[in-house]
Amino acid sequence: MATGISGYSSYIPRLRIKKEDYAKAWGSFQAAGVSEKSVMGFDEDILTAASKVSRRALESVPLAPAKVTRFALASTTAPYLEKLLSGTVLVNVGMPSSTFASDHTTSTRAGTEAFVSGIEHVKASPGGVAVVATADAPRASMWDPIEHPMGAGAAAFVLSSDNLIAEVEGYASFAMEHFGERFKPAGDETLHDLNVKKFFASSFTTCTTMACASLLKKLGTKPEDYAHVVIQQPDAKTPGSVAGKLMFNDAQMASGLVSVNLGDLGAASTTVGLVAALDAAKVGDRIIVISYGSGAGSDAISLKVVSDRKPVPSFKTQLEKKEYIDYIQYVKLKGALK
Amino acid sequence: MMCCWEPGAPVGRERIEGPDMRRVAIVGAGQSKYGEFPEKGIKELFFEAYKDMASSVDKNFDPKQIESAYVGNLGSGGFQLGNMSALVAEYVGLPYIHTVRVENACASGGYALVAAVMDVMSGAHKMVLAGGVEKMTDVSGIKQKYWLGVSGDTEYERLAGTTFAGLYALIAHRHMHEFGTKREHLSMVAVKNHKNGAQNPKAQFQREIQMEQAMKAPIVAYPLNLFDCCSTTDGASSLLVCDAEIAKQFTDTPIYVTGFGTSSDYLAIHDRISTVTLEGTKRASQHAYKMAGLTAKDIQLAEVHDCFTIAELLAYEDLGFCEKGKAGQFIEEGHTKIDGDKPVNASGGLKSKGHPIGSTGTGQAYEMFNQLRGTVQKPTRQVKGIEKGLVHNVGGSGGTVSVSIMER
Amino acid sequence: MAHVSVPMYWRTIPQRYKMVGQKCKKCGAVNFPPKGVCKYCNASSEFDELQLSGKGKVHTFVLIGAGGAPPEFAEQMKAGGSYPVAIVELAEGPKVIGQMTDVNPKDVKMGMPVKAELKKIYTEEGVIRYGFKFAPDQEGK
Repeated sequence: MATGISGYSSYIPRLRIKKEDYAKAWGSFQAAGVSEKSVMGFDEDILTAASKVSRRALESVPLAPAKVTRFALASTTAPYLEKLLSGTVLVNVGMPSSTFASDHTTSTRAGTEAFVSGIEHVKASPGGVAVVATADAPRASMWDPIEHPMGAGAAAFVLSSDNLIAEVEGYASFAMEHFGERFKPAGDETLHDLNVKKFFASSFTTCTTMACASLLKKLGTKPEDYAHVVIQQPDAKTPGSVAGKLMFNDAQMASGLVSVNLGDLGAASTTVGLVAALDAAKVGDRIIVISYGSGAGSDAISLKVVSDRKPVPSFKTQLEKKEYIDYIQYVKLKGALK
Repeated sequence: MMCCWEPGAPVGRERIEGPDMRRVAIVGAGQSKYGEFPEKGIKELFFEAYKDMASSVDKNFDPKQIESAYVGNLGSGGFQLGNMSALVAEYVGLPYIHTVRVENACASGGYALVAAVMDVMSGAHKMVLAGGVEKMTDVSGIKQKYWLGVSGDTEYERLAGTTFAGLYALIAHRHMHEFGTKREHLSMVAVKNHKNGAQNPKAQFQREIQMEQAMKAPIVAYPLNLFDCCSTTDGASSLLVCDAEIAKQFTDTPIYVTGFGTSSDYLAIHDRISTVTLEGTKRASQHAYKMAGLTAKDIQLAEVHDCFTIAELLAYEDLGFCEKGKAGQFIEEGHTKIDGDKPVNASGGLKSKGHPIGSTGTGQAYEMFNQLRGTVQKPTRQVKGIEKGLVHNVGGSGGTVSVSIMER
Repeated sequence: MAHVSVPMYWRTIPQRYKMVGQKCKKCGAVNFPPKGVCKYCNASSEFDELQLSGKGKVHTFVLIGAGGAPPEFAEQMKAGGSYPVAIVELAEGPKVIGQMTDVNPKDVKMGMPVKAELKKIYTEEGVIRYGFKFAPDQEGK
């Protein structure tokens, strides 16, 4: 029985900042390939964003919230380090209290972790419906160049075995110990990045290629079978550096390269990228999603588009609904969020 | 569906009147200066007003005759939320009497007067003190905003991000939208009241302002600007209320409270039938007129609750001085100037005089007492030859309203 | 601070997170926020729960400036400047006050169609209080 995505939605905060405004403040903008990025408003956070996309994803099917049997929430910048985050979204969206709800939080791989959890549930439970919500607004010290690419966004999916837009053909993972690249110790407010570039690059390459290779082997598919390739985007150039090794080209990556206009979306990077790719895809297209989270691990997911149904509002509509702020305003907003 | 308050529906309860109800007089009135007084607390302010009241009694004042004290007070920064009426009463030499703190936000004073009137009217006591006091400038900015923000609906109105300026601005904006009331009309209230207050030696602000200033002041809550909003103030006032039968022992010109009315309303503006009417003012004044056997036309001076300029415009309409929606025109035509045919806020109103929350209502009656007796401190502010006045005191954004009619 | 206790805020989650209203069994009018007795007929305290759509129109609005913000909104004011607050006439009948969001203050208009969104209201005692705010309701959102 085929299982996959029967509804989806993305949310892009309307506030944006251009790289030029950043460069005015710091002399340069150190986010390769990013031309502007999105910023959460003062009264939003990943829970309000996750609520919004979950609700819209259900409406896009359409499916009543009461039918949901599994909920998975992913973010690296949740407002609490300890508190059941899913509770807020469950109640706001109207999903049953009996839903098995899980929070996924400690790396940017959390988005696909949640997605895979959702698919596993649907495969194992006849009639099961999973909502997977990913929302993130990564941040670091204003003094740290790693802050430059960090943006904000959210995406949610309804996973089931009915009324599919895209079938999930399979998934594979790779996880290993690889400390010391990007991390936040408990009790520490600041995100650390030891900035040992080669060390990070090797981990990124290893995890993504291992997960991807394992998946292609399992499915018997080849790189050229994929019309759309969505790889984790800490900036807009890193995915390209791995693509070559994975035998994907720029054309395949184009639809999902959301970081160019939105920056690094953390745990929502590959999921927002997936939404963009789904919006662009045609029936019969294959999509591959490859995430990465430092510490370290990757998931690779293969999908096949089976319907031309496109939820509204589209990713593009939201991308275009924007209001620019300057760097001072940006600091006030992000500084206030600490 | 038929609401109990649709036009034509009967207004509230009939007032009980009968041979056992006593007539009520005011034979003395006092007020402290209104302003910012770091050296005075609520006890000292209350005493200042009390002494002023005692000196205004023409003859035979004897504090031992005072049997009750109703003290209007919101909370004075919270330090003596419990039992403050006992505290201020004993401070001024009135231990062992019936004391009550009356709290209905900014209408506390007005309701303290009504409580005193009802006390005497019932025959329970013959001589009663009605007063009010508030100390607002002792607390830090943040605490002050807390106290200013607890009389609207806290759950929804405050947590939507508004203080009273915001709530009255919502009313003003709708009034402008529905009736074409203009920015100028709001500022006319401020200019008129400052002109009157400049002649009031006890007012917090004793300087005139110009239209241009009033129109262009910084925005506090659009459309209201700084000059549309009254200030925070320290102050107290005190009235000696007694059975009319003994009034002539104390003065040849007692002032009689011939009618009063009170009404509550839905606390949150969004719960009310109309955003541009204070139902509380309408009903309270209708009760008062009925009791006094008068109509709006008979009133020769009104001290109304202009916590914000829009509030005075609403008062013109809801007290029946002009039709709903026509308040802008009413002030533009000059009716409510001191020398107009319907003078309003000869004292300078809350805008210029200040607004020490618990004291405002009884302070309005203090002004009316002097206006009706021709004993206003500065003759330039005296409205001549009047016999029928009305005081109007609103709690918060209209959750409670008290109206009393005072006659010579 | 506003002194709204955690349990007090928690009790209002059906209204804050979900906009659950009350339909009077006697006169059919919808009360929101809830009342003990229906405020329309003043004659019944029996209601059916009704999920409101969150849609409505701006009945009146104010732009809160620096001097007009309660202390718990001071930081929001400093970070973002003036914010709009509206009384919204909901599609089901009742009016309710709410802050506006996702909108430039200068674009707010009388009669503007709006829709409720979950947003952060404020934080007290370290607990984030979420609740509805109103965003412009454009076609295709």
